[in-house]
Amino acid sequence: MDIGPYVLQLFSGLSRAMVLFLLSAGLSLIFGVMNILNFAHATLWLLSGYITFSIFTFLSEQLGASPWLLLPAIVGATALMALIGFALERFLIRRTYERDLPEQLLLTFALVLIIGDLIKLVWGVENRRINLGVQPVEMFDTLINPYHFVIVGSGVAVAAGLWFFLHRTRLGKIVRAAVYNRNMVSALGIPIPLIYGLVFAAGVGLAGLAGGVFLPLLPMALGVDHDVIVQCFAVVVIGGFGSMLGTFVASIIVGVVYAFSILFWPDGALAMIFLIVIVVLIWRPWGLFGTELRF
Amino acid sequence: MQPGWLARHGLTVPVAILMLVLFLLVPLLPGEYWTQVATEILILGLFAMSFNLLYGYMGQISFGHAAFFGVGAYASAMLFTRLKTAGGEIGMLDFFLSLAAGPPVAAVAALIVGFFCVRLTGIYFAMLSLAFGELLFYIVFSWYSFTKGDDGIQGLLPPSFFQDAVNFYYLTLAIVTLALLAMWRITESPFGYIMRTLRDNQRRAAFLGINVRLHMLINFVIAGSFAGLAGALWGPFSRSVNPGLLGWQESGIAVFMTLIGGAGSIVGPLLGSVIYTMLQAVVKMYTVYWPLTIGTIILLIVLFLPGGVLGLVEKRIKARRSGDGDAGSREA
Repeated sequence: MDIGPYVLQLFSGLSRAMVLFLLSAGLSLIFGVMNILNFAHATLWLLSGYITFSIFTFLSEQLGASPWLLLPAIVGATALMALIGFALERFLIRRTYERDLPEQLLLTFALVLIIGDLIKLVWGVENRRINLGVQPVEMFDTLINPYHFVIVGSGVAVAAGLWFFLHRTRLGKIVRAAVYNRNMVSALGIPIPLIYGLVFAAGVGLAGLAGGVFLPLLPMALGVDHDVIVQCFAVVVIGGFGSMLGTFVASIIVGVVYAFSILFWPDGALAMIFLIVIVVLIWRPWGLFGTELRF
Repeated sequence: MQPGWLARHGLTVPVAILMLVLFLLVPLLPGEYWTQVATEILILGLFAMSFNLLYGYMGQISFGHAAFFGVGAYASAMLFTRLKTAGGEIGMLDFFLSLAAGPPVAAVAALIVGFFCVRLTGIYFAMLSLAFGELLFYIVFSWYSFTKGDDGIQGLLPPSFFQDAVNFYYLTLAIVTLALLAMWRITESPFGYIMRTLRDNQRRAAFLGINVRLHMLINFVIAGSFAGLAGALWGPFSRSVNPGLLGWQESGIAVFMTLIGGAGSIVGPLLGSVIYTMLQAVVKMYTVYWPLTIGTIILLIVLFLPGGVLGLVEKRIKARRSGDGDAGSREA
């Protein structure tokens, strides 16, 4: 049996999974701590892709082309996105904490339209991608773009870093406590508004990182965010709101199922994912790894 | 008008009558353009009002409501294609038959989806309806032999009498008015008040002996049927249907219209549709950046105008009324 195509799909699925994880981790964290479902999360991811592209192009023109320039471009875009996230929380999201869920959804929904159109205004309608010019390596009877390893590596590193942050640092423990009981955390004298700002900034920063990391693999195109955000919702729902481990596992499920469905039923790959979401929601509405606490 | 009457029904009746009069007069405007815009307003307004049966009256937000709009549109369009002759003509009776196919098929879809959705509330209800909506979208999108996939179905040309924009407009106006009256009757019935109870306190409703899931399911099917009716009208209006009608962005339009107009009244979403669709028609004449414009407007509404346009007007009137009359008592 020729395993080449399967290995190829596995790697592409894992890469997809890591990007979904970076996005969904922020989405899940923001929802867990602030109860805000950020529809604009994938649009911010898209914005970061375009920003990374612009920084990369600028640096390449100044210093001469080199794949390593992607690194400062990603770092710059991530930092910028974190700042944007902090500002969004401070000036817009913060005003809706006391409101009903639909109004919060509407606000982030409006951001999807606004940011999407601003991208069109600034970068036009052309797709943007970076070609690193890396040679594919031969393994398992097939040619694999080594960049897949970079993506999977950075995804796992971020997952480990997040786990360490949430479980081993003081700030991380505060964030986890805020997921369970905001009022209690606030009563202990911890400035909740600052925590909110930081969590939102961190979540958007992770989305920014995902945007930059993904750029050499697939082009950034207008409207992609609309598909990606529902896939992120799928990941968060399957894994369970607020559970990092769940988000990680669910990302891999969604990414790999998607990649292999493409082999057998190209147009129905996303239908498969929503079928899984439906089954999980009916069987365990709080997700595979979530707890019933917030249900 | 006694104050109690306003408190009970709000501005529903005066706004509905005013809108009906204005809608009747629209074809007097020069050119077909505004008649077509008004037809779109009515169809999308019906779709948004059907969404509001779930949101405004039952208190659940559905992000997959467009699935029933789309299923109604496809059911009607597919029957339409079967019934029309080789020359592309369709008889008057067959045309109405194809329109009538929308609601029952959408109702069946809503019964299946609703059976699962009513077990959940809040964010989980929203997520499950979104997942079902996207599933139906991708089925329609990828089942090429049955639905023609992303090509959609074209050539839905109504009988020659209704090819005239004004005639089709009055047909739409008649159907939407009847549907509005039916929905108003439903929401003012004991069933409608059970819905309000479920919105305000589900647990208490259960204590009162109300079968929560069954009532939610019935309402879900009713809402799905009216969305299917709107979808059935959409096909002959735009002469085509496409899978995008089922997507979550289409569901989002119903949510927008409802929150712009006001979810507290049966005609609120229709008013939202007037504002949204007219704005779209005007803005698109000047700029391609329509999403940016509507996004900014929604942002401003959320920040400064919770309750929608109708909610604001009612609040103003109530404030003035209580100011004029007994200044001591606070308006409920």
